Amino acid sequence: MAEQLSVFMENKPGKIEAVTGALLSAGVNLRGVSIASRGDFGVLKLLPDNPEKARKALVGQGFTVSTRKVVIAIIDDKPGSLHNLLLVLSKNKININDCYGISIEREKNAAIVFDIEDAPEAQAVIEKAGIRTLPDKDIHQL
Amino acid sequence: MFWKKEIECISRSDLDKLQAKQLALSVKRAANSVVYRERFAKAGITSLDNMEQLAMLPFTTKDDLRAAFPTGFLCVPLDKAVRLHSSSGTTGNPTVVYHTMHDLEAWADLVARSLYMTGCRPGDVFQNMMGYGLFTGGLGLHYGAEKLGMLTIPIGPGNTQRQIWFMQQFRTTVAHILPSYALRLALALADAKLMPGVDIKLRTVIIGAEPHTEGVRKKIEEMLCVKAFNCYGLSEMCGPGVAFECQEQDGLHIWEDHFLVEIIDPQTGEVLPDGQEGELVLTSLEREAMPLLRYRTRDLTAVIPGRCGCGRTHRRIRRIKGRDDDMLIINGVNCFPMQIEMVLMKIPGVGNNYVIELRKENHMDKLTVKVEVHETMFKGTLEDLEKLEQHIAALLKAEILFTPYVRLVEPGSIPVAEGKVKRVIDLRKTE
Repeated sequence: MAEQLSVFMENKPGKIEAVTGALLSAGVNLRGVSIASRGDFGVLKLLPDNPEKARKALVGQGFTVSTRKVVIAIIDDKPGSLHNLLLVLSKNKININDCYGISIEREKNAAIVFDIEDAPEAQAVIEKAGIRTLPDKDIHQL
Repeated sequence: MFWKKEIECISRSDLDKLQAKQLALSVKRAANSVVYRERFAKAGITSLDNMEQLAMLPFTTKDDLRAAFPTGFLCVPLDKAVRLHSSSGTTGNPTVVYHTMHDLEAWADLVARSLYMTGCRPGDVFQNMMGYGLFTGGLGLHYGAEKLGMLTIPIGPGNTQRQIWFMQQFRTTVAHILPSYALRLALALADAKLMPGVDIKLRTVIIGAEPHTEGVRKKIEEMLCVKAFNCYGLSEMCGPGVAFECQEQDGLHIWEDHFLVEIIDPQTGEVLPDGQEGELVLTSLEREAMPLLRYRTRDLTAVIPGRCGCGRTHRRIRRIKGRDDDMLIINGVNCFPMQIEMVLMKIPGVGNNYVIELRKENHMDKLTVKVEVHETMFKGTLEDLEKLEQHIAALLKAEILFTPYVRLVEPGSIPVAEGKVKRVIDLRKTE
């Protein structure tokens, strides 16, 4: 299962740049980025090709980092695929904390990253519905 | 058990006699300073050899020391003084304290006595993580540790990776450390996957220089797998080593052969009986260069009535609650920073990585408690952080009776000044 890093940060100019700078020096590539912010602080979510390397680089710079398991579902790049995927989750009463999409190959397929409380359960449900999910080792191939 | 049993377990009646004799000497020495010479002349005092007469002397305050800058309290020719310590003087003249060779030796002996009391022995390796320099914390413990016979590492504060490296290489058994830094060090050890008690041989930590709660001590003991002993002192009396905890860890023995103890009501100046909380007032009995008479420490504590189980006869004071001038008045409500720390210590993961900020907003005082977010309390979602913020505010309200603003900040946001962590930033006057 893929790992997403959450970075706590104060809402100030130059903060995100400090994170990307640290990742650049460590040679980490990013597959996905999302930000949730609330007034004076926020959480930056990162999907790096190498979570452990990224975590070390950020902790070394004094950032507070948390690692969470995420589910990455691969869907066709066409109308209705995301709707179909969400239907599977809602039918099983699975709540989504946060999600974002990455287009992989134009007009072929896209990856949807889910932050869900019980990630393994969600993954099983999605796979059971015949939707492909992405194993950890394949993230770098995205 | 004892560094000097005959003095540590002296009978109270012999201690009284010793104090009366030393007080007479101290007053005689003090009369050599410009300030005390004038004061004695005004009060008609020529000598003083009984404790009742002591109440005739006016108090000496920090402001008196500032006003007498630089040598108004000096009692020996300047060429007899071999060292001075000084405050930073950011709020006016610095307070300067001089030492003769005798003063330094007496101080080192008190520190050695105190460290021995906590279980330190020759053969121990002592890593001194306190600031060296004008601040008395580093040098004070340094010479006492050497006198006791410990291998002393004068590393100073900060640079956690290097601290850990030294602790591993030299198998450090005793450390002198700020309570706030002890908690950070514990987190760094956990990050480095080093287990206290296994990979790190630390057995004892001496904590001081910042008032702290019993909760902080317990947490340090738990996280570092050590016994933590509270150390008290102030540069005006010498520095650390004025009072120290013994292995009973129930109050700090104040060394009464060197210091005369009074507790007063800070408002009226009235002397209070044992057991009652008030401001600690000390008279130096042994110092040559700069004895101070009835010095108001501004530290709030109480003398603990009764004897200590360790056998020492020197009375104990309670852990310092805070300085009288630490008390904050926020929109008319009294509040001690220690109350806020007590609450934060009870919240898992929060600890004492906090700072209190006061501002004026629309003519009202606004209290903001900034709390650093560390890995142990960060689950990675915004929702959890919001819940944490509300939880902290609710618990604080229950203690201080009004709702403070809680702000979550990144690690490293808390300012450090003079080796001590600055917990309260009051911007009400400057803004």
